[in-house]
Amino acid sequence: MADYDVIVIGAGCGGLSAGALLARQGRRVLVVEQSGMIGGCCSTFEKDGFRFDLGASLIEDAEVINWCFERLGTSLPKEVDLVSCDPVYDVILKDGTRLKYPISSEESAKNIGAVAPGDVKGWHSYAEYMQGFLDAALKGFFLAPANTNADLVRLFRKTPQLLRYGPMFASSYQGVIEKYFKDPRIRESIAFQSFYGGLPPNTCPGYIAMVPWSEHAGIYYSKGGMIGIPRALERCGGKYGMTVRLKTRVNSVIVRNRRALGVILADGTEITSDLVVSDINAKLLYLEMIGEENLPWLARVGIKSYEYSMATPMLYLGVDYTPPLEGHHTLITRPMEELNDYWWNVYKKGRFGNEHFGIVSWTSHSDPGLAPEGHHVLVLTLQPGPYRLRGTSWDDCKSALTEEIIRYMSDRYIPGLADHVKVAELSTPLDFERRLLSPEGAIYALRQDLTSGVAFRPAAKSKSIKGLYLVGASTHPGGGVPTTIASGMIAADLIQQYE
Amino acid sequence: MKKKLLIAGVALAVFIYMKQPERKKRFLKEILRQVPFLIPRYYA
Repeated sequence: MADYDVIVIGAGCGGLSAGALLARQGRRVLVVEQSGMIGGCCSTFEKDGFRFDLGASLIEDAEVINWCFERLGTSLPKEVDLVSCDPVYDVILKDGTRLKYPISSEESAKNIGAVAPGDVKGWHSYAEYMQGFLDAALKGFFLAPANTNADLVRLFRKTPQLLRYGPMFASSYQGVIEKYFKDPRIRESIAFQSFYGGLPPNTCPGYIAMVPWSEHAGIYYSKGGMIGIPRALERCGGKYGMTVRLKTRVNSVIVRNRRALGVILADGTEITSDLVVSDINAKLLYLEMIGEENLPWLARVGIKSYEYSMATPMLYLGVDYTPPLEGHHTLITRPMEELNDYWWNVYKKGRFGNEHFGIVSWTSHSDPGLAPEGHHVLVLTLQPGPYRLRGTSWDDCKSALTEEIIRYMSDRYIPGLADHVKVAELSTPLDFERRLLSPEGAIYALRQDLTSGVAFRPAAKSKSIKGLYLVGASTHPGGGVPTTIASGMIAADLIQQYE
Repeated sequence: MKKKLLIAGVALAVFIYMKQPERKKRFLKEILRQVPFLIPRYYA
């Protein structure tokens, strides 16, 4: 008899949700995590009295997360202390124009009207179209397995209204936005979210253009830090007997006759199990932990062909003043074409650029308990940064870059910042890789476009290794907090169906 | 005849592609670059 029914590699949101749901099915579940904390990208760490979120800074599509907690016999609001963030963003455009997007669609329309009256109608049409897509997609697309063509046929049979949104899949993010909005400033104000799909506006799939609208269903922050969500999953799983072991690194998956039979830890300990669930990067899993020799040649070619998703440096700041910002999220953005140009001519050429943009999360605005009294926490999710910097390395330029970014933001967007920084830590793609074992610091594991998505993304139920299931950003529906939790639900359903 | 039709089809596709705005060309180019991997990825 195996030591456990299921071993989950990685305690990210996908691994914990799958583990908790499988424990609820009555299986003996062990979750092993290489680092000293749970949550993966959705985690929180403490430094000098300040609490910083490692990666994820907000919860979107809370409904999806709630479904997972409902399956665990509880609910998201019961388990996590959520703070609503309104406005969604205070956007600062390149020319200095400020445009606030409150949760209320009507209020947002008013603000759009003040900048570009001609685009108010476009906003309403966009909102109506995207809401229709979301209604169809949330349950139909995000919670359905997409392993095979048969799965896709089932998906469209079950949710035929998704077919209406086909043109969005054949267009780019930019194409969709330009269809609804004519004023370049309005386009600019919702251009950045294409990077939530991990790509610039002209390459990102059109369906990601639902993101700026889906945020109007409400975005939330978890009081105490984003780690509140994985902690709640761990707690719920614990009630059903799920065990989580931290600082336990897996070296390889035991595979015999193309069947996963457990794992071998870094210290050589062998733990056997009937099933293995992986919440780590699929390329790392298949090529290093399982080994090419255990894969059929076509799968080997497929796995090797995936490109890693983008990496994003993050700057964690503890300050001793109240920053002159308008709310939890300030989005410092650039015109659509500049974002494209940055991607292809700066990022793709190994440079980081010295005109910084991205999201400023003033987390202590929503939860003052994250900083000592009179102090605040700012987390800057910066523009995409290449893993390999041309002519230098992240480690070499880290300290100078930290100073440069603080000065840049202080001079242009957050007056007084440079004089009030008490704690500053820059997390580079290299740090991300070291801390989370995420190859090349990829924040969404693998590139997310039509050719690496849905049935073309590594399958949730492995097609090469029996008894192996995948969760997390590497598999359908992709990177993000609700989506990785959805992947955990999909894997738990598949296991219940097949094992 | 078949050969002529094929050549005409390819020429038409290239013509349509060239007429597209730059952002559409980039989107199509990125998809076309990945097309050879679709079958292996389906089995991944």
